[in-house]
Amino acid sequence: MIAFEHVGKRYGGRFEALANLDFRVRRGEMVFLTGHSGAGKSSLLRLIMRLERPSRGRILVAGHDIDRLHHSQVPYYRRQIGVVFQDHQLLLDRSIYHNVALPLEIQGVESREAARRVRAALDKVGLLHREKALPIELSGGEQQRVGIARAVVNKPALLLADEPTGNLDPQLSADIMALFEDFNRIGTTVMIASHDLALIARLRHRTLRLREGRLVADEEAA
Amino acid sequence: MSRQPAAPPPRGARTHRTRPRSRLRGWARHHRAMCLDSARRLLRAPIGSLLTMLAIAIALVLPAALWLALDGARLLDAELEESATLTVYLAPHVEEPQAARIDEALLAHEAVGRTRLITAAEGMAEFQQALGLADALGRLEENPLPASVVVTPRDPDPAAVRALAAELEAVSGVDEVRLDLAWLERLRHLAELGHRVALALAVLFGGGVLLVVGNTIRLSVESRRQEIEVVTLIGATHAFVRRPFLYSGAWYGLGGGLLAWGLLALGSEWLAAPVAALAASYGASFRLPQLGAAGSATLLLCSTLLGWLGAWIAVSRHLAEVRPR
Repeated sequence: MIAFEHVGKRYGGRFEALANLDFRVRRGEMVFLTGHSGAGKSSLLRLIMRLERPSRGRILVAGHDIDRLHHSQVPYYRRQIGVVFQDHQLLLDRSIYHNVALPLEIQGVESREAARRVRAALDKVGLLHREKALPIELSGGEQQRVGIARAVVNKPALLLADEPTGNLDPQLSADIMALFEDFNRIGTTVMIASHDLALIARLRHRTLRLREGRLVADEEAA
Repeated sequence: MSRQPAAPPPRGARTHRTRPRSRLRGWARHHRAMCLDSARRLLRAPIGSLLTMLAIAIALVLPAALWLALDGARLLDAELEESATLTVYLAPHVEEPQAARIDEALLAHEAVGRTRLITAAEGMAEFQQALGLADALGRLEENPLPASVVVTPRDPDPAAVRALAAELEAVSGVDEVRLDLAWLERLRHLAELGHRVALALAVLFGGGVLLVVGNTIRLSVESRRQEIEVVTLIGATHAFVRRPFLYSGAWYGLGGGLLAWGLLALGSEWLAAPVAALAASYGASFRLPQLGAAGSATLLLCSTLLGWLGAWIAVSRHLAEVRPR
């Protein structure tokens, strides 16, 4: 699903954020990405989302070299990826329903079909009863679940998450991770950047460990 | 062990594709939604929106008014060209029957529209009447005035008239051809100058409208930065991001155009009385030209397009800034 071939990323010609990354993630796999803050986890995810372009090497997603996408194709590429952010990035002036519906609105999905899918996604994260609420009325854990609903409403083949449990207590974090496992179980490829090592150890998935922009360990879960 | 589903993934690994037809409907729906949404946003800050529209209106009024004035001058110009005539003075020895023959010969010329023969006696009478010197002139033993023919050319263009004058001068029995085109040419030059000034002003003030709208939209882009960022992250095209702002720009432009239209109507109403009085004092009836249906439509169309373009420039600049490197 994802293949990094000797990928490097420099900023401003000097600072080397990522160096010589070489790994593959198979379709349907669930992978954790760990390392201290500044190790390059976010940069790696930004490369996959094509928010940035590699300085060196190639990145293949679903067999396509994403650096060769024309910039007009990039939006269509991004629609195939669901993304969950640490700070959830919800639009504060829209209801939960409309936040989750946003990707469908962008794709011009018909409203009745959109409503069906938004409700299915909200139901999946257990927030169907809050669809009319504004993000500000929800707790941190609930907001993160709305962010997940928005990421999966489009049924993406690939789900990326950047520190999705960063601000949550252990119980809520475990709930969120369980949600990701559910999506993985139905075939979605999931990649989660996190530094919550205790939680990752318990979940037993493949783990890529970054240190100073280099891949220092690629551990298949026991 | 990495989790690898044994069976083909039932749902997750297949992206949902929308059919072209429903996508087109979705596109139309988004246009409608953004059109209304941007109007609502404008109405939510009525004073600010009105000020922006007023700035646009003021920028539009000056070139539009000048254009109208030139339109009026052109009407006047056409009327004056009608009266562009040549005066053909016949040689002093030419007697009346011969003068009539020359008149006929002149009339036969293809470039001549109308002629009017003024015999020496008629000329004298006109002269006496105009100057009120009947007694003094009456004492002259001989009429010193030659007979003349006033020729109205078919084509009032100065070059054509001048060419005609040269040809008529060669006719036997013709002493001299006078043409007073200088004032007509001056008027033409003035009109040309006016048009260029109007065009330059229109370009300048059109640029002003772009800047006004661009700046307003830039601020609104700035205030919706997070929203733009999020929708871009989840696959919005540039067109999708631009759309609400383009509609805002078009609304600003349209509002500004309507205000400009109102200002023009008000202004021409205000000037109508003194203009009519001034024209009357010259013995002419001249009315200020009105914008009319076509002019109004042009004004509104231009202002709306300018608003749209200003917004497009502002949003595109922002989008270019956030493009991945």
